[in-house]
Amino acid sequence: MRQQIQTAGEIAADQTTAEDTAAVKTEEEHETSSLTSTEASSDTSEADPAPDHSLPSGAGTGDTGSTPSGKRSPLGPLALILAAVVAVIGSWWWWQAAHDDQLAAAQDRDSALIAATEGIETLNTLDHRDVGTDLEAWEDVTTGQMQDGIAAIDEAQRQQLAGEQKIATAEVVDAAVLSIDGDEATVVAAVEISVIDDAAPDSEPTLKRNRFSAQMKLVQGEWKIENLQQVAVSLS
Amino acid sequence: MTRVRSLLAARLTPFLLAGILALVGAYGLWQAHELRSTAAAENLAVVDASLTAEVQSFVTTGLNQVLTYDFADPDATTAAADQVLAGDARKEYDTLFVDLQAKAPGQQLTLTAAVQSVAVKEATEDSAVVLVFLDQTSQRATDNQGSVSAAQLSVTVEKSGDSWAITELKPL
Repeated sequence: MRQQIQTAGEIAADQTTAEDTAAVKTEEEHETSSLTSTEASSDTSEADPAPDHSLPSGAGTGDTGSTPSGKRSPLGPLALILAAVVAVIGSWWWWQAAHDDQLAAAQDRDSALIAATEGIETLNTLDHRDVGTDLEAWEDVTTGQMQDGIAAIDEAQRQQLAGEQKIATAEVVDAAVLSIDGDEATVVAAVEISVIDDAAPDSEPTLKRNRFSAQMKLVQGEWKIENLQQVAVSLS
Repeated sequence: MTRVRSLLAARLTPFLLAGILALVGAYGLWQAHELRSTAAAENLAVVDASLTAEVQSFVTTGLNQVLTYDFADPDATTAAADQVLAGDARKEYDTLFVDLQAKAPGQQLTLTAAVQSVAVKEATEDSAVVLVFLDQTSQRATDNQGSVSAAQLSVTVEKSGDSWAITELKPL
């Protein structure tokens, strides 16, 4: 039925102006409301079979006796009840999954790990040819005192870093979240740092393996590095 | 004609509504499934506190035993290896152990391992991949030389029955 109207609407839209389409829409609304009223009357017919007999008289020859209403009344409501149950269960499961603490924690864990990996690489990267850009990147991945410390690096210190003629790049070989507690997390990482000495262009880059522990903090939905320390060998 | 259509509509309406409701339900179930079957959701590392602690404790004790060695008592280390190692980890360890056994008594070598941290990277109920930081001190009684080395290991553990075993040990 709806399809019929839509088809009519399409034809009308093809043939006529937007104004006419609006008119068709009104017709559709009208049809819909009449549909509802029919539904209401058929509900009455289910409750009381007497008017039901009188209704099909104009409808057609097949609709005689109580058979149609007998067939219809259990199937329709039954389908509705079943479908409503499915809808309730589906929505409930969806809601539960969307509000599952463990799922949220799992996502937090993974985003902390990604941010820490990127942050640790950034903080171990410094190119003497472009110290300014690298220091900005350092600020972007940190927070709190560590960020303040980076922001406080003054021009003289920048000159000094640039003068060292070193290009350091870092790659996190492996990393994992050690613990997570609300908006704080600890991530450990095995890092390979390569340093090229531009003062000695013929020399091979030196490779170092380091172990790091990063204290992460969730700041406005993003994990930032609050503290980064090398995990030193502990002699006991 | 209108009458036929409205009657038909009256009959179809419950089914149409039922169809919509069923679709809503099916969509909800599908969304719930999607949310629960992501890689993040299936990884129990850290979020399952007791599983994480169990793996951490096993790896710490296991590696400390297996990587600690006294030339005077090598059997303690092999006994631990029998308990803790399996699969590829066991095979590699056996190869290393042959070398160690060859030179250790002459040098009067002792090795002491101290696991500093075990971070669980991936975990299911019966397997896990962890990142281990560990320090190993070696002492040669012959010339009283000692050294300390820092190591980073990627370790795979698997559970069969009630007990865990280290099945892969990869220095990073």
